[in-house]
Amino acid sequence: MKIEDRLSVLNYKTDKSYAHITVKPDICETCPDHFCTFACPANCYTLIEGKLNFKYEDCVECGTCDVACAHGSVTWTNTKGAHGIKYKFG
Amino acid sequence: MSEFDAIVIGAGPAGASAAIRLASSKKNVLLVEKSDPPGSKNVSGGVLWGSSLSSIIPDWEKSAPVERFVDTKSVAFLTQDSKIGIDFSSKKLQQKKTGYTVLRAKLDQWLARKAKEAGAMVINGVTVEKLHMENGKVTGVEQGGDVITSDAVILCEGANPRVAIDSGLHKRLSDRDVAIGVKEVISLPEATINERFHLKSGAGFACEYVLGYLQNGVEAGGFLYTNKDSISVGIVVSMSHLRQNDATHSFDIIESFTGHPYIAPLLEGGNMQEYSAHLVQEGGIGSMPKLYGNGYMIAGDSAGFSFSNGLVLQGMNYAIDSGIIAADTFIEASKGMDYSESALKLYQDRLESSYVMKDMRTFKGIENVTWSPFVHKKVPAMLESLMLNLFMEEGKPKKHMTGMLLDAMSENDMLKASSIMEAYRMMRRM
Repeated sequence: MKIEDRLSVLNYKTDKSYAHITVKPDICETCPDHFCTFACPANCYTLIEGKLNFKYEDCVECGTCDVACAHGSVTWTNTKGAHGIKYKFG
Repeated sequence: MSEFDAIVIGAGPAGASAAIRLASSKKNVLLVEKSDPPGSKNVSGGVLWGSSLSSIIPDWEKSAPVERFVDTKSVAFLTQDSKIGIDFSSKKLQQKKTGYTVLRAKLDQWLARKAKEAGAMVINGVTVEKLHMENGKVTGVEQGGDVITSDAVILCEGANPRVAIDSGLHKRLSDRDVAIGVKEVISLPEATINERFHLKSGAGFACEYVLGYLQNGVEAGGFLYTNKDSISVGIVVSMSHLRQNDATHSFDIIESFTGHPYIAPLLEGGNMQEYSAHLVQEGGIGSMPKLYGNGYMIAGDSAGFSFSNGLVLQGMNYAIDSGIIAADTFIEASKGMDYSESALKLYQDRLESSYVMKDMRTFKGIENVTWSPFVHKKVPAMLESLMLNLFMEEGKPKKHMTGMLLDAMSENDMLKASSIMEAYRMMRRM
């Protein structure tokens, strides 16, 4: 099963006005490993034509990327107002 | 005068247990949870081992939303083509139930309700942004510019403790502190699960696996637990090994596990209901923050309390008991109205005399065993060749079993003095 299909079963209350994770594009541009693209279990980090693309909407808030990024690009905060992932089973 | 006696951040097993204990002792306690309903951002494997809840909810085994009691506990090594495992099923596990499979969205919501019933104020959907500090002492929490004050704060944020990190009470997490857990919940009819795993109604199967077939240095463990009418299946992959590899997606490892020739048939016909991920505490005592200070204590996963020796994974029991011990420490400290660092040192002392810290100290360095090429490569390969030698009947003279074992060990480079020492050191740590 593709990761996109797996993510498609999840429920989110997306916060359109606040991205709880942000990246610094200038750091990602010179990144030698892009380990985030392998570590993130929700495939929020992808390379498109060699350039890092990040989308917070699919994030399951595990915290992996904040540990994975060894270059100081990721700023990680908790979601607010009960936004974000909503598990039914957990 | 503070608005609350105590504020607890996070309604998981640690936070809810702390709140229940405090409220039951007539303390004015606020339990703040960022998700709504509580539990809807929480993930575990998960088996709840032990009976830690009994001291705060005596009838928990009857009233808690548990899935199945563990009747069969297994461990297994997987190679590309084989499974080599040990199953332990016992009537003794039916008589004295030692572990229950649980789903956290259900369990944690129930725990939060129990906290409310005990008299705690529970607020959902509110994210604490930072701790409120006065004169170097934690005196409450802040959110959106509002301050809620308390005599002390108990931080139970889970494996990714943002408030503690942002307040400088916990260092940033690194590769050695955490692993990545990835899980699927797959629905199957209750009768199918009973039949497939040879279980009576209410009884469950729990197994931990070493994924000995992963390539290029990736090391991961797998787990499979039966719920009432679903199966929790997932992997835990070492962050540092995945980084060294830098070519494998964490989400592809669970795919290779659920597709393994001896796992796939167990899941056949099921529908994936949920995909989830969560950090797993793996660093042992070396990853623990300072557990207390002026006006605060840290409990549960945030404190680094977890146990894994490859045979069993535990965390919720330590979370519940550390939450209760933090609450008891607060109650003791409230007698003298002293919540200073020196008064709250009692928390550390009580943890040290409980199994929580004793286990952390006994199993210091266990992560070097559970995450080693010896366990993840050599042992599975050796066991597979031993089993093949034992059961391949080719009309040739047989050797004694010790001879076969030595051959299998030799094939896998395990008879060198260095390997024998390595194995000996590992066994001592387990």
